[in-house]
Amino acid sequence: MILELLAVGLVVSAFLAVYLDDAVYSVTSLAGTLILVAILYSLNDATFVAVFQLAIGVGTLAVLFLSSEMLSEKPSGKKPLKNAFLAIAVALLLSIPPIFLSVGTIPTNVSSEVLFPEALWDLRAIDVVLQGLVIMTVASGIAIVLYEKKEGKS
Amino acid sequence: MDYVILSMILLAIGIYGLLTKHHLLKVLISVELIATAASMNFVLIASSLNKALGEAFLILAFSTDTCVTAVVLALLVIASKKYGTCDIRKLAKLEQRETIEGEEKSNNEISEDDV
Repeated sequence: MILELLAVGLVVSAFLAVYLDDAVYSVTSLAGTLILVAILYSLNDATFVAVFQLAIGVGTLAVLFLSSEMLSEKPSGKKPLKNAFLAIAVALLLSIPPIFLSVGTIPTNVSSEVLFPEALWDLRAIDVVLQGLVIMTVASGIAIVLYEKKEGKS
Repeated sequence: MDYVILSMILLAIGIYGLLTKHHLLKVLISVELIATAASMNFVLIASSLNKALGEAFLILAFSTDTCVTAVVLALLVIASKKYGTCDIRKLAKLEQRETIEGEEKSNNEISEDDV
């Protein structure tokens, strides 16, 4: 029952994130979507991914909030309340298929010996190290650009 | 509950946003939704099969997703500062006008040189 409620909330918040005109409300709905996805992951025993999703989601949403507040203009005309209710009704309709329909069965009794830390470090170690390298390069590039800009001004 | 259908619906909502919205921020939100749908499919199938490799692979997908967000946000800031708008249609028109003006300018310079 909890999973079904999460799915309904997920679809409704995702639809509102796209539908709403005001950027701040839209980003707030996206925040709801990301939080619900993280809860869904943790309920499906993918705790590490849930933590990563939350961490990345918080950063993305902070930047999105700032940019939506700074850069986007407010919508001139307000949409009537009837339209918002219609959007929620459409989203509720969209959330019915995942609850009642199925495209096929995924075998649930497949077991694997590989644990998450082993998979991360033994099988995908190169990826992880390369990602760290890329992030370090980007961070140092930003620092150099900012430093040169500061030097140019002074 | 079927997670494949749930992720397909999230994907459909994201594509709907990409096709109908013209603000760059809305486009970014739609791209985020599409990426969330793809990664959700990946994680939930991997966790239902008890395969930790899928979850480990997802971390790469998350970092790619963050890079995409950073690039689109940089475009948003540049467009907003340079042109004063974030509407894709207006930006496309401005770009066309700039291209035509640039071509006319270079043609005039060439004809003056000939004279």
